[in-house]
This record gives sequence, C-alpha cells and structure tokens, in this order.
Amino acid sequence: MLGVAQRLLKRRALAEEAVQDAFVLIFRHAGRFDPERGGGLTWIYAILRNRSLSILRDEKRTETSDTPIAEETASEEDDPETVMAKLSDASALRACLEMLSPQRRGLVLLAFVQGLTHGEIAGRLKLPLGTVKSWIRRSLLSLKECLG
Amino acid sequence: MSPSRDDHLGPPERDALAGEYVLGLLDGADFAAAERRLDTDRDFAASVERWRQHFFAIDATVTPLAPPVDLWSRIEAGLAGLIQPAVASSAATSRATMASSTRFADWWNSLFVWRGAAFAGALAAVLLAVGLFGALDRAKRQPLMVAVLLTEGNAAAAVVNTFADGRVEMLPLQSIDVPAGKALEIWTLWDRAVGPRSVGLIDRARSTPLRLDNLPLGNGQLFEITLEPATGSPTGRPTGPIIAKGTTSQRL
Repeated sequence: MLGVAQRLLKRRALAEEAVQDAFVLIFRHAGRFDPERGGGLTWIYAILRNRSLSILRDEKRTETSDTPIAEETASEEDDPETVMAKLSDASALRACLEMLSPQRRGLVLLAFVQGLTHGEIAGRLKLPLGTVKSWIRRSLLSLKECLG
Repeated sequence: MSPSRDDHLGPPERDALAGEYVLGLLDGADFAAAERRLDTDRDFAASVERWRQHFFAIDATVTPLAPPVDLWSRIEAGLAGLIQPAVASSAATSRATMASSTRFADWWNSLFVWRGAAFAGALAAVLLAVGLFGALDRAKRQPLMVAVLLTEGNAAAAVVNTFADGRVEMLPLQSIDVPAGKALEIWTLWDRAVGPRSVGLIDRARSTPLRLDNLPLGNGQLFEITLEPATGSPTGRPTGPIIAKGTTSQRL
C-alpha cells in the first residue's frame, strides 16, 4: 500500500499520511463495503488511491515551495514504458495496452501512475486539452473493447 | 460539468467516464459528480469496479516499501481518534470523571467497534474465499500416479509424480553424488520392445519437470535415473550405472 501511495505522492511523508488516512477511511466505511459489488482488495486500494489523489491535489493547490510536487523526481520506475515492462505478461491489461500506440498508452499510464489530471497531462506534454481528453477517451474505449 | 453527464449515459460514455474516474483524471466538480453517480448508478459502479480490477495490475507492479515501525502505531492512534469523539460526545459532561466502566459501555455501544467487527467479518470471508481457491488448486495439484525410485540398497532416492493436466515432475529425496563431467539422466520405459526414452537431464539432484510430451504414461511404468555424461547419454539409451528406479502406482 505504501508503495502505491509513494508512487502517486512522491514524498515519503505524504505517502505515509495517505496510508494512515486510508486505514481510518477503511475502518469508517467498512459498513458500506458491499462484497457483491466488488473485491475487498480493489475496494481497499480504491480508497487508498482516492485519498492519495486528494492529498496530491491539495498539495498542488497550496504549494509554495520552489519544486512543485508534480515535478519532483518522477523516478524512472514510474515511466510509462517501465511500468509496461513490469506488467505481468499474462495480464489482459498488458496485452490490451500493447494494442494502443505508445503515445496513447503513455497518456493512460501517466494518468494512473502519477495521478495527473487531463489539464496536467496537457500541460506536461504541451498538447491541447481537448486532444488529451479525446485521446484518453478513445484509448479507454478501445481498452474496454479489448478487455471485454 | 457538461449537462450531458447528468443524463442517463449510454454504455460507451459510461465506461469512458468510469475509466477516467478510476484513472484519477477527474477533478473538482467532475470528480464529485462521478462519486455521486457511483452511489446511484449500479451499471456505472459495476463499470468502475471492472476498471479497478484491470488497473490493479499496474498497482501490483509497484516496488513494495517497508512501512516505518511507527506507522502502525500512528494508524492505531488515528483509529482511536475516531472512537474518542464518539465517546466524548456521549459523555461530554463528565469527560474528566469518566470511569472505566462507562468507557467499556461506550466501547460496547460504539458504532465503530461494530463496523470494525463487520469489516473483520468481511475480511474473513475474503480470506476464506482465497483459502477455498487454494484448496481447489491444491486438489488440482494432487498427483494421479506416483513412482518411488529406490536405490539398489532399497533407499528411496526420488519420487515421480504425474498430474491430471499431463505434467510429470521428479522430486529428489536425498542428495546424489554426481562426479564432475557427469549428469543424472531420467528415463521412462513403458514397452520393452520400444526401449527406454530419456525424459530429463539434470546436473545434480533437484526437483525437475519431466518432458513426457507424447509418450504414453500408465500404471506400472518404469522410471529410472542413471549416471551419464554431462551432455546426456551419447547413444540415446542408458549407458551408466542405475542410481535408482521404480514403477508408477495409481493414487487411491
């Protein structure tokens, strides 16, 4: 869990905060967990991701330091193609991601791994916002079709 | 938020929005709208769950980090902080003089405790499900036939297990001296007219899958290990001394 939070938040202290908050949220919302709607593990990780993302966005909003968190060492490990390489060969996701062009695949992975919004991706890649939105949308739809 | 997102979504829009939500692309009002939809639109919730399961493969690639020793105690403190306000509000007037018995009663009445218990129950169900799959998996891994390979001195040197899915493996039970430049070759013999066929070559006694491919496999079939040159028997037939041998028997 800590690894996932760290990948999104980059800073260790924030990642620990996210894990701690996630546990509290899991505890608090345990009554809402509905096994019929999904697995426990994905539920726990969804809470962790949501908490991490909201910390990430708050940090960005209030940030005054010279090194914005988004530009802080996006380690090589988080590079879309590196993540791709680490995905298990057997995973359906990998096979389906491979069907996308590297650039579009990169957008999807960048969003998930680094927690970037449409606007941030557009800014980072210097692409128009509308283009980023529609590319990701189309990538998601082809992924959906491929994953079934 | 565009008005169209308020209306009923067609399947492609729904799946795309669910995907954007799971990727974490949505911000502000869009994010809040998606959260609301999650509670009210079952199809959307199901789509979100499918995306989560697919993208979980990416989370699984992360290098695990060891949590610092104090993280768990901080989490505990956080959970205690959750319980404390409930206690405090129900006993606000006498907080300073709260006796341990009322503390227990408050615990007993605490929704959080029961939520925790419910969560533990849900977790137990998940673990049971995992355990059940494990048991099924183990059942699949039970061998169909077993051959115990004995040395000349009747000591069990290795077992050969055959499985329903066609896999055959050899597990050594004792170390075997292999001189330099030599190797252990494993043979099977189902018909004297055909002669033994090599099914594996190992440099030392270790567990190894055997390649029977299309060779027949039946009850009472002979398996044996011989000492051969490091590259395997030059003739395709056993040439060296027999280390151990045994025949297959059906598992009851």
